Amino acid sequence: MDFDFTKEQLMFKQEVIRFAKKEIVPRVQEHDLKGEFDFESFRKLGEFGILGLHFPEELGGGGADVITTVLAGEALGEAGVDGGLTLAYGAHTFLCADTIFRHGTEAQRQKYIPKLASGESIGCMGLTEPDAGSDVASMTTSAEKKGDKYVLNGNKMFITNGPIADVAVVYAKTQPELQHAGISAFVVEKGTKGFSAGPSLIKMGVRTSHTSELIFQNCEIPAENLLGKEGDGFLMAMQTVEWDRSALLAPFVGSATYLLKKCAQYAKGRVQFGRPIGQFQATKHKLADIRIFGEAARSLVYRIAWCKDQGRPLNHLEAAVAKLYVGDWSMAPTFDAVLIHGGYGYCHEYDVERIFRDSRLAPIGGGTSDIQKMIISKLM
Amino acid sequence: MNFDFAQREQKLFKELNDIMLEMAGEKNLEEKDPDNAEKSLRESLSRLAETSYLKLGIVLDENIPGLCGMMGAMEIVSSFSQSLYLSVEMSTRLFGRIVSTFGNKEQKKKWLLPVLYGKKLGAVALSEKSMNIDNDPMTTSGVRENGFIKISGAKNYVINGPIADFTAVAGIIENKPAIFVIEKGAKGLITGKQLATMGYDGLPISGLEFDECRINECEVIGPFEDKSTFDTLRMWENQIIIGGSLGMMKASFESAKAYAKTHKTGGKPIIAYQEVAFKLAEMLTLFQTSQLFAYRAAWAADAGSRESEVLTYCAKVFCTEAAENVSGSALRILSGEGYLSGNAAERAYRCAKYGQIAGTSTEIARVKIGDAALGA
Repeated sequence: MDFDFTKEQLMFKQEVIRFAKKEIVPRVQEHDLKGEFDFESFRKLGEFGILGLHFPEELGGGGADVITTVLAGEALGEAGVDGGLTLAYGAHTFLCADTIFRHGTEAQRQKYIPKLASGESIGCMGLTEPDAGSDVASMTTSAEKKGDKYVLNGNKMFITNGPIADVAVVYAKTQPELQHAGISAFVVEKGTKGFSAGPSLIKMGVRTSHTSELIFQNCEIPAENLLGKEGDGFLMAMQTVEWDRSALLAPFVGSATYLLKKCAQYAKGRVQFGRPIGQFQATKHKLADIRIFGEAARSLVYRIAWCKDQGRPLNHLEAAVAKLYVGDWSMAPTFDAVLIHGGYGYCHEYDVERIFRDSRLAPIGGGTSDIQKMIISKLM
Repeated sequence: MNFDFAQREQKLFKELNDIMLEMAGEKNLEEKDPDNAEKSLRESLSRLAETSYLKLGIVLDENIPGLCGMMGAMEIVSSFSQSLYLSVEMSTRLFGRIVSTFGNKEQKKKWLLPVLYGKKLGAVALSEKSMNIDNDPMTTSGVRENGFIKISGAKNYVINGPIADFTAVAGIIENKPAIFVIEKGAKGLITGKQLATMGYDGLPISGLEFDECRINECEVIGPFEDKSTFDTLRMWENQIIIGGSLGMMKASFESAKAYAKTHKTGGKPIIAYQEVAFKLAEMLTLFQTSQLFAYRAAWAADAGSRESEVLTYCAKVFCTEAAENVSGSALRILSGEGYLSGNAAERAYRCAKYGQIAGTSTEIARVKIGDAALGA
């Protein structure tokens, strides 16, 4: 066993932290307060190479391995980048662009990946529906083949980047009677007739990411926008889990490090009863619990990434364990951070309040904790 | 990065599993009767010595797994018997490591080799009545006299205390920390009554008193310039407790899972009910997270990482609390079956608490982790 990173990987992580602290973090609080997507930061993520980090260089990517890609996500969290932006990045790169990259034709790759990797285009993925969340097979969005076109009808819900996306990977049923096996994936471009996004939903946290409904009303798309073959959609959606359980969880690991530093800094400066609150054992215990969460989560996340780098098929049990742990246990450290900051922690001025709200999504998004428990108990 | 155990580690795990299965089939590894327990322990030591288990963390050889492998091996032994595990570990991993790391050539020959070959049993006496090793001064002390060392003082909670062939006693000589190695039967060594404990049913544990107990000068390890040696001992002890916690979780989880798949209520196995299935999922999540945490802390220690100490504290807090949590959940799944003495989860639940108070206690560990965060 070896838990070390290469020197290059660690140097890259430090570069990402420096970049994010300088170029992104200064605007985070303002955008969160306004509930606005930070287009400038997103563009800068593209310029820096993060949005397409793992794609081949010939498609505008960085050719990085999975561990390095996951380290970049951790670095963003560690720098203090908000959960909204890291979520938007995750949905864009891993749920949308990577699906096109993995399952698209060469023409589809050439058409979409370079722009998605650079941030010129923004991507999203439409899977969840108002009445079909964890139970994907019950989706009702349909795609009917008519000549050289598919006609999409239905609604998608809680779609990260929905209102701002230029490209959407959308899952719809081409053969409803086949349940899972009847689901197919399509690329739908912004501006396509019959395709629209609902207003941005007002959320508890991750407010800088825009989330909305996607509406398809007799939306005609060229047949060549089908990804892979008809009926492959469910497997494609499931394959995004590899990224979901590594790269999308990594910012939570980084965020724990960020919280620890912020809390330690505050605890050293905040004096009560004649001494810094960091000298009280109760504060030290909270700091310890934040550190313990981060260290415990780290190996779970990197195990998934390492297996992917080795070309191994995803171990669904290990992936669910990682998601369940990060999802359920990531909330306590943010609560501790708010408590350490006291009244200030309750105010927006100190970003622990935002991080507390952002973390609430962890046990819900990308498969709820209950679903993870269902998966684990079935596979054990 | 590599999350796989190497072939040599896998081989050891299989050997250990086979031996432990065989021994568990032959005898009660949690034997309470002191005579039978000692006999069983010494036989087990001989069997374990057939593998490289007793040498882990002590003998550096390319054929012997490192500390990650040691953690994996500890998990296996502990999953079969927590009492046997702790006795063996205190003898080999703690006493053995002390002699191996700080002893001279003669001392190694005299004490280490018999322990590594499973022929003799070691013990380590650290705790004192009024002593928190981290905050208070030690009172057990040695005085030089006519080429001998005269030791006075008392130690509490010495695992293997009643039966050990060699006991390493932490103390002070000439105002410096040192370790006195006292052999069984030494004059002035008074072994207390075997203590009854909440868990670890078959564990020989007692207090020790030293009434001007006399040893030769060559039986002193040290003295050391500062008490960092004792800090090292605590870290080794912490590793033992972490490995033991993994075994408790494994035993509890497997016991509950097997029961949930076979015990029926309402016409179906209870695992079909979400309340049970989800509890098992949470248990497995804590268990797997603990495993990776333990391996990473062990890896950091092996690599000499400067984060090693704080990672070990973190892993100890996490794994020992997870052990109580997992064994407690197992009891709820096992219901009346689990409440019966001798069930793996019941035994683990009683043992789990020890992990939180032994070594660096959970509370002290959290303070130290907090101090590290504060840069103190």
